[in-house]
Amino acid sequence: MSITTKPGSRPFDEMYDASGAIRPHYQPYAAWLEGTPRQLIDRKRSEADIAFHRVGITFNVYGAEGGKERLIPFDLLPRIIPGEEWRALERGLAQRVRALNAFLGDIYHGQEILRAGRIPADQILNNAQFRAEMKGVDVPGGLYSMIAGIDLVRAAGADGKGEFFVLEDNLRVPSGVSYMLENRKMMMRLFPDLFSRYEVQPVDHYPDLLLETLRAVAPTGVLDPTVVVLTPGAYNSAYFEHSFLAQQMGVELVEGQDLFVQDEMLYMRTTQGPRRVDVIYRRLDDDFLDPLAFRADSMLGVPGLMRAYRAGHVTLANAVGTGVADDKSIYPYVPEMVRFYLGEEPILNNVPTWMLREADDLAYVLEHLPELVVKEVHGAGGYGMLVGPASTKAEIEDFRLRILAAPEKYIAQPTLSLSTCPTFVEAGIAPRHIDLRPFVLSGGKEIRMVPGGLTRVALKEGSLVVNSSQGGGTKDTWVVD
Amino acid sequence: MDSSPVMQYYDLVHDTIYRYTGPVLLSQQVAHLRPRERLRQRLLSHRLQIGPRPSLQRERTDFFGNPVSFFSIDRRHDSLAVQAVSRVGVLAPAWPDAAASLPWEAARDHLRDALSGHAPLQDEAREAGQYRFGSPFVAIGPQTLRYADYAMQCFLPGRPLLEAAAALSSRIHAEFHFDPAATSVATPVAQVFAERRGVCQDFSHLMIACLRALGLAARYVSGYLLTAPPPGQPRLVGADASHAWVAVWCPDAGWVEFDPTNDMQPADEHITLAWGRDYGDVCPLRGVILGGASHAAEVAVTVTPVAGRDAPV
Repeated sequence: MSITTKPGSRPFDEMYDASGAIRPHYQPYAAWLEGTPRQLIDRKRSEADIAFHRVGITFNVYGAEGGKERLIPFDLLPRIIPGEEWRALERGLAQRVRALNAFLGDIYHGQEILRAGRIPADQILNNAQFRAEMKGVDVPGGLYSMIAGIDLVRAAGADGKGEFFVLEDNLRVPSGVSYMLENRKMMMRLFPDLFSRYEVQPVDHYPDLLLETLRAVAPTGVLDPTVVVLTPGAYNSAYFEHSFLAQQMGVELVEGQDLFVQDEMLYMRTTQGPRRVDVIYRRLDDDFLDPLAFRADSMLGVPGLMRAYRAGHVTLANAVGTGVADDKSIYPYVPEMVRFYLGEEPILNNVPTWMLREADDLAYVLEHLPELVVKEVHGAGGYGMLVGPASTKAEIEDFRLRILAAPEKYIAQPTLSLSTCPTFVEAGIAPRHIDLRPFVLSGGKEIRMVPGGLTRVALKEGSLVVNSSQGGGTKDTWVVD
Repeated sequence: MDSSPVMQYYDLVHDTIYRYTGPVLLSQQVAHLRPRERLRQRLLSHRLQIGPRPSLQRERTDFFGNPVSFFSIDRRHDSLAVQAVSRVGVLAPAWPDAAASLPWEAARDHLRDALSGHAPLQDEAREAGQYRFGSPFVAIGPQTLRYADYAMQCFLPGRPLLEAAAALSSRIHAEFHFDPAATSVATPVAQVFAERRGVCQDFSHLMIACLRALGLAARYVSGYLLTAPPPGQPRLVGADASHAWVAVWCPDAGWVEFDPTNDMQPADEHITLAWGRDYGDVCPLRGVILGGASHAAEVAVTVTPVAGRDAPV
């Protein structure tokens, strides 16, 4: 297989060590695999496809022909993480999310971190995700991103050991948790015998944790809060997840038109008349929430919602304005936030990042484009990026012009050799690059997460892009003890 | 003038009437109609009359420090009348010496270095930074370089910032035609620039675009002009309606205002309502209605000087 990384570097494989030996936590799996005929696995695979179609777990790919819905490919070979490794990750994730929430509270209040000169002010002021409307608004518990998805990758260090890095923070409306849950259900159904060989930590209590989190951030004085899930509607790419989570939590799934504001209180229309709503798990972008406060042409939101929110009569999860903390231009400063707000050294590292707004960084990056990954600061979902080693000369030159036109719009990172995990492919089993998105829940004083998260896999040989919108698949993720 | 400045008092009446062709079932409105207080402006009285009577009305201060009123009407209605009646006192500013102001490049660099983390950030610069970048009505990007080009004729190397800004205001006044029929509240700056015509809102947006394209901080000021001029003086454009002008931030002199529509520096005949990044932040009345089909709006503004001793209430 060929992997597009610097010659000489070799990716860390989750199952095999550098000498080709099977790592201890994969040995029971390997033994099981050896004793299982390939035909059986192929049969299980088509069973899985049919079941997923029946559940309707699909994903809309923007830009594909006719905006077609399709299945996210599911790989039957699990990604296994040893328990102690996970516990270290868990501490790092909690620390990072705590710092990010502190940063958001600061940015919308005293802006101490700007005054202290630890983050340049223009990164905030010239950021479309900064919501001046949130200045001085107090949110319950000082929490902004109650549901965060932190993307991790593992890269081989010089010593061949794998080290986790944070690739991206998703603090607005991170999606994918429904795949995590469905993947586990599917695996348990297809291969019950496998689960007798491992003590796999459960994930199926995620909806309970999510509901507890949402209830914990209800407005002060509300003892038995009503929680709803707000969706932009059935045309949204993640609609399946919205309805899935509402159903799993046993709460209403609503659209903007089902809600209204009266006397600064939020209500939903029900067949029994209006009913107060206290907490909205909203899966709708800031811009569309309230036509009175943001985009006046939005038909998806609720007029007056921001006023009810500002008055403290309803909680939005996540809060408005969290995008200013997960933007790629702010990402390089997250370790600094950990130091500034928590007085601790970051447990999880960032990927080294060049900021092309800085002249020195720009010069370096322009000289090394073929080796680097260049990303648009405000891009998401794997759109608008250059993967140097995987691009043609013409593509690189084309991108060079785009960078030169507006260098401040880009950051660059080394091409990491993302770790691989064996994956079922046409020809058998082959290594494919993977990442990991744990979902971090902050409510009340505690930060909680279910063990593991969503593992995404780049199914194309050599590809480093795992985004579902770019043809990535998913795997079940096991944390084992 | 060698006498010390005297506060001028005005009565303001700002009427807005919407007539709908179909019934409105629910109306929620946000109003920037209460004149903000500032060092050289006092608000002596103010009332907002709304018909039909709102079911809810709230006052707060927005993120630019402007007073803002919110109200909603949840009864069926065919028209909405909003009348703001205020009495204000205005003092002319002490003019900073334009020729002695910082060279404009120094002002630009001061802001750039402070905001990009290359120099310590003072609160004034952090505050000004809010008005330095693009905003919904005044986008800033590679496509706005032409505004920088346009401004460069006034912003000669080393020229004091306030002198250059005054020259830019004069140039816009001279080269653009005042034409209420040419534009609407939603006309983009690019169209105003191409067609060389518009109203006070357009000229203010254009001037802000020019200043920001050069790396300076500029804000949009919404307000009123004296309706009936003092004897012997010409009647100014923009009276009898709400008016708009521009303020530019100068590190040594603070915010200094210019009125490109009348090619003048606002003194005690310009009454401030509110300021923000652009019109969108301070629009006098905006809202969301349920029903109503189409509507026609009528706006009338009267500004009357209050003479002599009657003045303070």
